Amino acid sequence: MSADEELAKDLGPLAALTIGIGTMIGAGIFVLPGPAVADAGSLVGAAFVIGGAVALLTAFSVAELGTAMPKSGGMYYYVNHALGPLFGSIAGWGNWLGLAFASAFYMIGFGAYVSAFLALPAVDLGLVSFSSAQLWGLIGGSFFVGVNYVGAKETGRLQNVIVIILLVILTAFTLAGIVNAEPSSLTPIEDAWVGELLPVTAIVFVSYLGFGQIASVGEEIKNPGRNLPLAILGSVLVVTIMYALLMAVMLAAVPVELVADNKTAAVDAAKNMMEPFGLAAVGGAVVLFGALLATASSANASILASSRINFAMGRDRIVSTQLNEIHDRFATPYRSIALTGALILVFIAIGGVEPLATAGSVLHLIIFALINVSVIVMRTADPPEYEPSFHVPFYPIIPLMGIVCSLALIGFMAPTIIALSVGFVVFAGLWYLLYARSHATKQGVLGQFIQERSDAFPDAAVDAADSVQPEGDEFRVFVPVSNPRTETDLISIASAMARSRGGTVDAAHVVQVPDQTTLQAGADHVADLSAESDRLLQQAREDAETFDVDLETHTILSHRAFEEVFDAARRHEADLVVMGWSPDHPGRAESRMEELTHDLPCDFLILRDRGWDPSRVLLPTAGGPDSDLSADLARVLQTEYDSEITLLHALNDGETEAEGQAFIDDWATEHELGGVTTMVAGEPPRDAIVGAAADHTLLLLGATERGLLSRLVTDSIHVDVVDDVDCSVLLAERAHSRTLRERLFGRD
Amino acid sequence: MLSISADTVVVPLASEDDAATTANALSAAIDAEGRVVLLHVIEKAGGAPDKASVEQREDRAAEIFAVARDHLSGDRTIETEVRYGTDVADTIASAAEALDADLIAFSPREAGRLTRLLTGDTSLSLLTGSPVPMVVLPEAGE
Repeated sequence: MSADEELAKDLGPLAALTIGIGTMIGAGIFVLPGPAVADAGSLVGAAFVIGGAVALLTAFSVAELGTAMPKSGGMYYYVNHALGPLFGSIAGWGNWLGLAFASAFYMIGFGAYVSAFLALPAVDLGLVSFSSAQLWGLIGGSFFVGVNYVGAKETGRLQNVIVIILLVILTAFTLAGIVNAEPSSLTPIEDAWVGELLPVTAIVFVSYLGFGQIASVGEEIKNPGRNLPLAILGSVLVVTIMYALLMAVMLAAVPVELVADNKTAAVDAAKNMMEPFGLAAVGGAVVLFGALLATASSANASILASSRINFAMGRDRIVSTQLNEIHDRFATPYRSIALTGALILVFIAIGGVEPLATAGSVLHLIIFALINVSVIVMRTADPPEYEPSFHVPFYPIIPLMGIVCSLALIGFMAPTIIALSVGFVVFAGLWYLLYARSHATKQGVLGQFIQERSDAFPDAAVDAADSVQPEGDEFRVFVPVSNPRTETDLISIASAMARSRGGTVDAAHVVQVPDQTTLQAGADHVADLSAESDRLLQQAREDAETFDVDLETHTILSHRAFEEVFDAARRHEADLVVMGWSPDHPGRAESRMEELTHDLPCDFLILRDRGWDPSRVLLPTAGGPDSDLSADLARVLQTEYDSEITLLHALNDGETEAEGQAFIDDWATEHELGGVTTMVAGEPPRDAIVGAAADHTLLLLGATERGLLSRLVTDSIHVDVVDDVDCSVLLAERAHSRTLRERLFGRD
Repeated sequence: MLSISADTVVVPLASEDDAATTANALSAAIDAEGRVVLLHVIEKAGGAPDKASVEQREDRAAEIFAVARDHLSGDRTIETEVRYGTDVADTIASAAEALDADLIAFSPREAGRLTRLLTGDTSLSLLTGSPVPMVVLPEAGE
């Protein structure tokens, strides 16, 4: 990594920790004590401990995945990478909407505390009515969305200060509580409350969502291998301990009735505790200040994190990339922030504290379960690039417990919330199948793992994995052009193939830079080349236009022009490469040629151009996969150029003419080639082809064995047919079946 | 009109719109010989999460450079440079020094008072803190 890229990672361990603590500390202590204590009484401290423990299980998994993939988008990214875009859609939408629900919840809590000193009259619009807390929530929500929309960078740095102030206030609050505490008031635990413990845990769980935000800015964290686990686990531990202590102390120090169902319980408890010192007003004011800071910072961090998730989803085409447009002046992802902001305001307007808290929690619990599954998938599939520097301890027990506990906690939520979560999963699944599937480009590690080992898995699993694969991988034809003379022919073939499959053509001007010249210096002279590039690529555009095919153009500088074609084909995820070749092709001298051409990344069509005339096409076939590609091409030529196709079959030893004729008729039917002339020849294949080629303008030659291209370009064995005929030759060679590793990483 | 020549011109670009305006103006005002370094600074929050993902803004930098290339006329040697810094003007200045620039050329962007307040006035800080001569490009009359 260069020094400059280091500069891009400027979040130290403390900054990362405060993102987590700052998001989490707002909700639990300031908003939730009222409803939680009303349900569970003194046991509420235990509910917070259980919630923290459940969160910690998943925090281990997030830490492991985060050190292996410190990418923008965090939890969504890990799930999409491991489990594929179907589950990625669920995780992405869940994380996004979950943050919007949670932000609305924080803002209503914020509104309740503002109302404590500045109540607004409730507004009743007939259909909807807004309480003072909701009105302030709407005002506050609009403000924080606005701050993120214009992207004042000071707010980020303010976060560190806010967290430190909060920790000081809460520590003072705890100490004041200890002075006042009467442990006896904690002892009577009514049986009825024990049954309430887990439902209350489900409500307070919203307090522990914030550690995910650390993961979502993982790409910006310095030394993520060390700092990411530290921040994630540290923030969950700090917050859990803080909550448990505070709840115990608060309920020991003040009457339970004061807290239960009190929307601003923390302020009233502080007043009550400071009363003996004559400082009730001061205590109340300080805690009120803390409550406002805490709820605001939680909402602010969540809004910011949601735009990272949108970006990551757009990067994988699960949502439109339009959403991630960056503002011309503010340099913020303004559309994403505006949309998230609108969702938050709607949720504030229609929701109450408890429904919003549990809605935020339930979506995150679904993601947490998927995150734990993802760790197990990554460990099992173990792709070579998966090298986390932090490992979940007691694997696989902790991730398995994480799955069970996260899903179990959903069971203790209100039936309407459970229904909402089921409805959400259905929505996200449909979103994938109906929209994202045709756009999404990335297959998950799980799907690849199953497809690679289709023998070892039950058919049902393989079918399921196949049936949800992304289709966004549209058919792409890559065409390296360098010679204006053959450019039109190559683009024509490529466009015809692309049009037949609704695909796109990538035309690249590959410029070979001599070894003596650095690429940078080569780039300096690109100005000279750019005129040539522009001419070539402009011509390519016009040629593609006649076929009404989308064309993308590139200029590529390389020392190894021919090797670069293979690399570029991989980078552009090409399905087919159409390229020209002549005996003086520069690729002949390149050292890795043999290795490259023995391992084709996709199908190749190589044109030995002796004047492009597809009117009479000869297609010799002996069957086999490479002849399938020739057949495809022949069909396309028939459609596009009304080519006359002659199929030629040279008889094998002992094959009768009738058998040969039957073979070729079957072959034509099988490949849906109609209106063709067939020929059966008794001579050896080479002689038969050379003889028949004399009457034809184009020879389509399928590689009959592996490495035809390799032999052609390295000249290790003379491919005499190509040179013995006078017409143009199109050689077809299919992609070699690739291993999982190659498919994942291009090459090993 | 007066024509300026320089061996190395550093051209800071803030956005795609800015890239088009600046490249047009530069083509009109500065001789085609010499090296043009297109520079985009990714503003960092400095120890806090940024307003947008770094990767997202690196993608944007590539788009900005593409727009500028499209609008630059003549046979120029064009290089591109992405820098990261908490202060955009300072980062441009230090990049110009590191790149041995003879000149920084830029188009000031019109901005309302509120926008200046919110986003800072980079043009002004650049003008007052530049280590190399600067050219303020007029809007090119097309």
